[in-house]
Amino acid sequence: MHIAVCLKYVPDPSTIEVDPLTGMIDTGRMLYMMNPADESALELALRLRPPTGTVTVFSVGPVEADRLLQDALAAGADAAVRVWDDSLGSLKPTVTTILLAAALRVKEAPDLVLCGGHSVDRGSGTVPALLAEHLDWPVVTDVTQFEIQAGRIQVQRRLARGARAESEVALPAILGLETGLVHLRQASLPNLMRVKHTPIPLYGLEELGLSPQDLYFPAMTLHEVMPPRPRARIMFSPDPSASVQDRVAQIMSAGVAGKAGKIMDSGTPEQQADAIIEFLRQRGFLEQPT
Amino acid sequence: MVMTTHEEKMRTVRFRVAATPHIVVNSEICRNECSVHACVYVCPANLFVPLDDGGILFNYEQCFECGTCYIACNQEGAIRWSYPDGGYGVTFRES
Amino acid sequence: MTTAPAKEQFDVIIVGAGPAGSVAALLSARAGLKVLLLERGEYPGAKNVSGAVFYGSAILNQLIPNWWEQAPVERYICRRDIAFMSPTTAVALDFRSAGAGYATAPYNGFTVLRPKFDRWLAAQAEAAGAFLLTSAVVDDVLRENGRIVGVRVRREQGEIYAKVVIACDGVNSFLAKKAGLQREFHSHELSLGVKEVLGLDPAIIQDRFHLSGNEGIAFEYLGAITEDVHGGAFLYTNHDSLSLGVIGQVSSLVERRKRSYELLEGFKAHPAVAPLVRGGKLREYSAHLIPESGWSMQPKLYTGGMLVAGDAAGFCLAAGLYLEGMNYAMQSGLAAAETAIVACQRGNFSARTLAIYRKYLKQRHVSTDFRAYRHAPSFVNGPRLQNLYPEMVARGMEQIFRVDGAPKQKILPLAYRMVRQSSIKPGQLLHDVYQVARAYLW
Repeated sequence: MHIAVCLKYVPDPSTIEVDPLTGMIDTGRMLYMMNPADESALELALRLRPPTGTVTVFSVGPVEADRLLQDALAAGADAAVRVWDDSLGSLKPTVTTILLAAALRVKEAPDLVLCGGHSVDRGSGTVPALLAEHLDWPVVTDVTQFEIQAGRIQVQRRLARGARAESEVALPAILGLETGLVHLRQASLPNLMRVKHTPIPLYGLEELGLSPQDLYFPAMTLHEVMPPRPRARIMFSPDPSASVQDRVAQIMSAGVAGKAGKIMDSGTPEQQADAIIEFLRQRGFLEQPT
Repeated sequence: MVMTTHEEKMRTVRFRVAATPHIVVNSEICRNECSVHACVYVCPANLFVPLDDGGILFNYEQCFECGTCYIACNQEGAIRWSYPDGGYGVTFRES
Repeated sequence: MTTAPAKEQFDVIIVGAGPAGSVAALLSARAGLKVLLLERGEYPGAKNVSGAVFYGSAILNQLIPNWWEQAPVERYICRRDIAFMSPTTAVALDFRSAGAGYATAPYNGFTVLRPKFDRWLAAQAEAAGAFLLTSAVVDDVLRENGRIVGVRVRREQGEIYAKVVIACDGVNSFLAKKAGLQREFHSHELSLGVKEVLGLDPAIIQDRFHLSGNEGIAFEYLGAITEDVHGGAFLYTNHDSLSLGVIGQVSSLVERRKRSYELLEGFKAHPAVAPLVRGGKLREYSAHLIPESGWSMQPKLYTGGMLVAGDAAGFCLAAGLYLEGMNYAMQSGLAAAETAIVACQRGNFSARTLAIYRKYLKQRHVSTDFRAYRHAPSFVNGPRLQNLYPEMVARGMEQIFRVDGAPKQKILPLAYRMVRQSSIKPGQLLHDVYQVARAYLW
């Protein structure tokens, strides 16, 4: 089995300091690190790798990201690829995932792609899903646990308010993993020394068979930014006629009653997607088609 | 701000916290054999907390790895001290 | 995945990429030796703290001509103050020089920020051919037939072998202790330094300290500044920040139950210091131990297969007028490298061969300086010279300059009265005068 892991070189949040007067980030004081969720993803991939399998790590970023890929090789990854082109500036997830998808296709296609679910810098959490779109593979996000059995993965997911869900997907698939599941192992001394001067293969647009136009992805257009409208706050008090247990439960939930939702467990993916769009439209989140 | 609280000072320091502590305090010795508790005063990161029962609670996460506690401690074996794993612990940026 | 053989052989393994370790690596690598430079931090300098004024410009200039043109230096020191303080007064000796060697190349001293400077210096060693490995903490030495033959890094397959190990692992030197060269320290032998870097606009720094261009100052403070804790304080200018800190003897901090960072706040609030630091924004707080006792806490400097240099060998001169460490770290690092080079040429790494380290330390004026000032630390860092007399001078000046309608006093009766009022006995005073003279004059 071949596993690909997507790694991001991110600033350590504790080193991001904003000057209160100018509002500018002091970039001279930032230190970089491997995104923590990606670190767990790499460790899980290394533990999962069967004797004949491989783990390949990918990162989209400038030359500084080589350090991160060398760390991954020292920890035991079999190969590393850095994707970058000097024409690229600051990247949005939409563009990053086009590049990653192309790189995954250039190398031997993996059976499983592991991503950290959220990065600590941008944190949009959209990379696994966008990557799935470009590769046309299934994706499961918010994964806390998974197991591979006979070409299928049993996945446990964390949902809102402590709920858990179990699902199953067929390989090849993409998983977006939660942060802090496992710690990355310490590299051995010989490995650490060996990777120090290991060159990391670099894939530019040309090697990926992409032209600058291919990087256009009309996912979202920003029309206007408005401050949020303040909402009237209603102080909650529990129902005095309820039992002690119920009142404690009401206080603990701060009066938030579960919104009536609908579990969609039937229909084709297209029908389900239509239902979600209709739901959002009814609540005014999407414009009516003109 | 020129004048700062200890908490404000500590917020300017970057720590990469290792999974295991590099300093272990044997609170039994602190409780039974030590009346000075020098560590509480000398630690520049203020990491030693005296407990009601005479023991000492230690947080290793924000340690400067300076060694002052170990030097100041007058009880053999109360503080076991080493450096954190390579790459972990305090990382100064400007000092 | 194949792994490299565990028993990789180096000529020299240097533990610690501070000033001692990096110049030792630089010199050894230039001599064609196969050098491994190990550093436990994420990068060289990540664990290192100094005031920091680097007085070794001339030394480094011999290795890297005009090094300051490429290195991350802050300001060159053209003005030094030593101030005697009472809680409300300061009397300062103000030294300023535009003379050769101070305001011209190679300059006498530079302020540096250690994480940046040490990182640059280690990169020079790397460029010379040394193999720098970061994130590698060394736990122990390896021995064979009674001689040290390598070190154990705290990682899987962490044993690594070399003909000579040079321990430059800092004031706590676990390695010197593991090798049986160093004893455990006493709390009166070491001082704790706590420090802040305060961001300040370069134009304000220039105006406030009467500087132009890259000129900088180094101010040192003695007296009541550390209350009744034996110690002192410092204030240095960087390009766009100030480095300031308080140093206190560990045993004295324990006895007086004083917290170092509270003394630091008191220092910044002193009427003579507050206007100098006004408007500064805290950028980083740090702390480190200083091996202030010099000569008396030196380890045995070598054994079969191993040498000790820098702070690990106690090469830090803290004696009132002098507060120097990085220059002696480099000198001793160079002496250790010279020793390793000779040992490799002879193919002999016994303690007897490595004993030429002593000769090189003498040639580089390390052991001679420390021997010359061997009486200074215990006395200078003692309570009377560091705190009591400076405070008396400050209080005395307050009396002399005061105009309040009372009759003017001559200085000698005033001094006599102040000594009488203090806890100092006349015999002690005479003894101290003799001590000062012996420490500094001959």
